[in-house]
Amino acid sequence: MNVHAQTTRTPAEAALIDSFAGRVSELPGDAAVTVRRDEALELLKNGLPSRRVEAWHYTDLRRLLSSVPAFKPVSEAEPVAPLIERSAVLAVLGGAAVDRNTGIDGVTVSTVADRLIEGGMTDGLAAAEPHDAVGAINAAFVSDGYVIDIAEGANLDRAIELQNLHTGGQAHSRFSVKAAAGAKATIVERQAGDGEALVSSISDLDVADDAEVLWIVLQEQPDTASYLGRFSARLGKNAKLTLFVMNSGGKLVRQEVRVEAAGEGSEFRLRGVNLLAGEAHCDVTMVLDHIAPDTYSTETLRNVVTGRANGVFQGQIRVARDAQKTDAKMACNTLLLSDDGGFSAKPELEIFADDVACGHGATVTEIDGNHLFYLMARGIDEKTARGLLVKAFVAEVIEELDDEAVVEALEGKLDAWFVEHG
Amino acid sequence: MPAVQETIDQVRMIDVDQYKYGFETHIESELAPKGLNEDIIRFISAKKDEPEWMTEWRLQAFKRWQTMEEPSWARVSYPKIDFQDLHYYAAPKNQSGPKSLDEVDPELLRTYEKLGIPLREQEILAGVRKQGEPSTLDGEPGDNVYSSGRVAVDAVFDSVSVVTTFKKELAQAGVIFCSISEAIREHPELVKKYLGSVVPVSDNFYATLNSAVFTDGSFVYVPKGVRCPMELSTYFRINEKNTGQFERTLIIADEGAYVSYLEGCTAPQRDENQLHAAVVELIALDDAEIKYSTVQNWYPGDSEGKGGIYNFVTKRGDCRGKNSKISWTQVETGSAITWKYPSCILRGDNSRGEFYSIAVSNGHQQIDSGTKMLHLGKNTTSRIISKGISAGNSQNTYRGQVSAHRKAANARNFTQCDSLLIGNDCGAHTVPYIEAKNATAQFEHEATTSKISEDQLFYVMQRGIPEEEAIALIVNGFVKDVIQQLPMEFAVEAQKLIGISLEGSVG
Repeated sequence: MNVHAQTTRTPAEAALIDSFAGRVSELPGDAAVTVRRDEALELLKNGLPSRRVEAWHYTDLRRLLSSVPAFKPVSEAEPVAPLIERSAVLAVLGGAAVDRNTGIDGVTVSTVADRLIEGGMTDGLAAAEPHDAVGAINAAFVSDGYVIDIAEGANLDRAIELQNLHTGGQAHSRFSVKAAAGAKATIVERQAGDGEALVSSISDLDVADDAEVLWIVLQEQPDTASYLGRFSARLGKNAKLTLFVMNSGGKLVRQEVRVEAAGEGSEFRLRGVNLLAGEAHCDVTMVLDHIAPDTYSTETLRNVVTGRANGVFQGQIRVARDAQKTDAKMACNTLLLSDDGGFSAKPELEIFADDVACGHGATVTEIDGNHLFYLMARGIDEKTARGLLVKAFVAEVIEELDDEAVVEALEGKLDAWFVEHG
Repeated sequence: MPAVQETIDQVRMIDVDQYKYGFETHIESELAPKGLNEDIIRFISAKKDEPEWMTEWRLQAFKRWQTMEEPSWARVSYPKIDFQDLHYYAAPKNQSGPKSLDEVDPELLRTYEKLGIPLREQEILAGVRKQGEPSTLDGEPGDNVYSSGRVAVDAVFDSVSVVTTFKKELAQAGVIFCSISEAIREHPELVKKYLGSVVPVSDNFYATLNSAVFTDGSFVYVPKGVRCPMELSTYFRINEKNTGQFERTLIIADEGAYVSYLEGCTAPQRDENQLHAAVVELIALDDAEIKYSTVQNWYPGDSEGKGGIYNFVTKRGDCRGKNSKISWTQVETGSAITWKYPSCILRGDNSRGEFYSIAVSNGHQQIDSGTKMLHLGKNTTSRIISKGISAGNSQNTYRGQVSAHRKAANARNFTQCDSLLIGNDCGAHTVPYIEAKNATAQFEHEATTSKISEDQLFYVMQRGIPEEEAIALIVNGFVKDVIQQLPMEFAVEAQKLIGISLEGSVG
């Protein structure tokens, strides 16, 4: 369809522009930040991306983001118990950072609000391209978050948990973490809340040479919240990053992942579990750039779709001309358990180097009849047997993580979802 | 792992500077003035002696086209086309439907002889060239490709169909095989019923343009229960400068019918780019089967990327009836730019769609090609096997969509695409779109060389064949399956390409 059409602004687009006018005076930042915010607003004035924009083909934001709630003057959000025991919690409540330090040696913390006012945080504060709605909304409205530096060679004995919580309205946060050379850390990012909301959150991670990070995104928004998230990372020489993403809530979810394997010998692992129920629309979009030679990446996503939910996975692996000997494997497996649900996958390869091993696989099916029969033949009723198989299907990805405490905590989350959604 | 030497050599043999069909035929032509407007459309329609409804259909399409924008989503780049700077009609003079071969301009006959296309059916019938004669098999690749076997040919030169062979014999079987212009005049009821029913007038920018200005093409109707007694084929040749070729092909297989159709194309070597925007519609009714094969060898431009054909083609098959089957096979080696997605609409219950493609790009060629399998009916199955090989400075993209409608219970798809890069200045890209809206659908997409059906692999390997060879054997087996059903000579080039090893495939 290429028919020209003059479009009018949707209620959500209008609400975004209006809330900017009402909010701008309270937003932190120096003159340079203000310029960036204005630029972001200009992009929003051009309208939210529709399915005609290739990157948003399966998530027509223009249509799906039906409303944008107003900012709440006061947030009643409270920090929650961390996923992993003994974690140092850094909470952002209703868009305001409330903690100042972690008490962990080798970790320094400052707030995004302070950085915006002091200057020096404008670099990441721009949309990546004209249709980058996540970047534009966040750049226009971002109010707070944390900037964390992990010292060279520091091996953190406790995890850091970033909590981004709300009680409705709007919340726009940012997290920036630098793991210096040889550092080792586990970071949990919690996205949750209560009530009708629009949340945007951008996390940015720098993994320097030989550093190793396990980053867990746990998105448990209520089914009244729209969540626009991005995780981006850059890997140095021989750096290792494991990113685990679990989406188990939200009405409209777009989780973007952008990773650059920029250092020779760097390794990236993405493990994702998407549990979709009700009317949820959940989109995980990844762009992975292999820039340096001898880089390695694997991505495994397991999706369970029930009810009238709709799942999307777009995964693009780009291998630059110089990134010879790249080894990249991507798999996206979906159990579609309802005729009213849907799942769309677009696993994309873009290869410019001629000596690489890249592959992708995508499957969408129902539960295997043979597996079901096997269990039922042993006297297990159908409902239980189905439950076991579905759980095993996703648990497999979780069990791949090395840390026992993390595996246990995530499986607890998984059980909770199955209890709630049968 | 990088490509093996054998593969590199084979790809070099079909590099852009090896183009064999670049000669030009000097023949007096009748040209429509440059530009596109309602008058030109009326002019074309009048030239074709078309009934009023057809002229109206074209004008409607033109109106729609004026409101449309050129699509930009494909991974190809080229300077903007000036659609007003083209001749939309070019025909060899005095060629408004020769009654016999003797009336055809000898210069034209020589052209087709040079291309190796037999327009003299009696010669073949008399057995001057026996089927499977060694000289044709071992000849230069692409030479004499049509020269033996019994193939009915519709030869399209620029904007008109020059001649259609074996018409009489086909008519005895009830098969209608003629140019589309003739069909519009002689079989209006069939054309009216099916034209535009698979690719609607306003489907996309190029299809709409084609609907407005198409000049010729082939029409096939195979009646109920008839198995077409011979292979049908169309040979397209663009000769004239600054022309666009817009052909339209319509193939209908009625209940229980079977037809196999081949398409070949070449063009002279020119510095300017030429436009080719075709529309092909296939309709398979209950239990019918259509096989459509293309060996696309348009002029690809020179080694600097100058000239070459812009190939913007809409090909779509509709498995309208239950148990129907449509299979596309394409061997793509030509064209500067290819934008082509032969698709299957699997509407009838138990219908089946297949797509086998080998796309080789060299020089500065850009290919963005693939397929769409739209599962609408119950128990529909589809299979996609695609091999892309890019060398030189070319870009080769596979773009394919597989979707299951809510009501498409038990839809099955298997997709496998492999790409191979030769050299450091080219790119290989894979963009699959997988959309499932039905819980009983089963879709598998893979682009790895190591995950073919374990059973098959085991079967081959336990006979002592190493894994790499076993995989190549199985994937090639899929393709060969179809290619081998083409007349051998037609597919010399295709056969050569299939011989290319999968070794070094990047997925």
